[in-house]
Amino acid sequence: MRDKILYVLGAAALILLARDMVLITGFPPEINQGAIFKIIFFHVPMAITALTCAMVAFVASILFLITKKFQYDALAVAVTEVGLAFLAGNLITGSIWGRVAWGMWWAWDARLTSALVCWLLYAGYLMLRNAIEEPTQRATFAAVFSIFAFIDVPIVIFSIKWWRTQHPQPVFWGGGSFPPDWKAVFGWQMLAIMLVGVVLTAVRLRQEQFQREIDSLRRMAHAL
Amino acid sequence: MYALMLLQASADDVVREMERLQRNFTFLNCGLWVAWLVLVVYVLMIVSRERKLKREIAGLKAMLEDKPRG
Repeated sequence: MRDKILYVLGAAALILLARDMVLITGFPPEINQGAIFKIIFFHVPMAITALTCAMVAFVASILFLITKKFQYDALAVAVTEVGLAFLAGNLITGSIWGRVAWGMWWAWDARLTSALVCWLLYAGYLMLRNAIEEPTQRATFAAVFSIFAFIDVPIVIFSIKWWRTQHPQPVFWGGGSFPPDWKAVFGWQMLAIMLVGVVLTAVRLRQEQFQREIDSLRRMAHAL
Repeated sequence: MYALMLLQASADDVVREMERLQRNFTFLNCGLWVAWLVLVVYVLMIVSRERKLKREIAGLKAMLEDKPRG
């Protein structure tokens, strides 16, 4: 049943993404930036999904430290990994946009640097998990690290407000504007990418359950 | 208005503008491909990991079933 729901959600996300691609391709180029502006339809939803994943990982890590239930640890690692993939997509698409808009692939401004630090922190989180064998110790250290890593998330979000950055002000809360039909497609695209995130997290969560099953089977094999 | 600007521009300007637009489209294309590629690569990684985990579970279960008999 759970698999069927995942397939349906995955298929819905793919159909939405394909439909949005057709609509986005049909939009005229933006007057100042030209066609490259349309990369926003991937760049921003990927960033929002990644930072939402970081938020879920933060809450799950706190809940693990309070309750010591391994489901929360599994949720934290699942969303962190998915979020890392989306943040990678966000950084790469942003870099491609920067090459056209600024004439350079990268600028060490507050937004870009804090986003890269965020990616490195969560990659470090996954590496830390691989380095610790004992499950309880691994989950505890990882939860503390995840809470620490989350400090960077508000810095990523508000860096463009707190400092003067090369990165433009946001379209929706920075005084920019979007034509209504673009706004609708952006909303659908946001939903589609969030759905992809949910499906990938659910699949990844199931893999963590498999891993726990393997651990218990190994313990049984050792006991025999 | 854009068409009017093009009408007033010289042939060189038009060529330059067309090249800029073409470059813009090429980079957009590249960006969209990369966005999809990141997702596809991650999905493939997840699928291959799932297969590996299932194989490992099946192997351990088979081993546990064999052990008491042995």
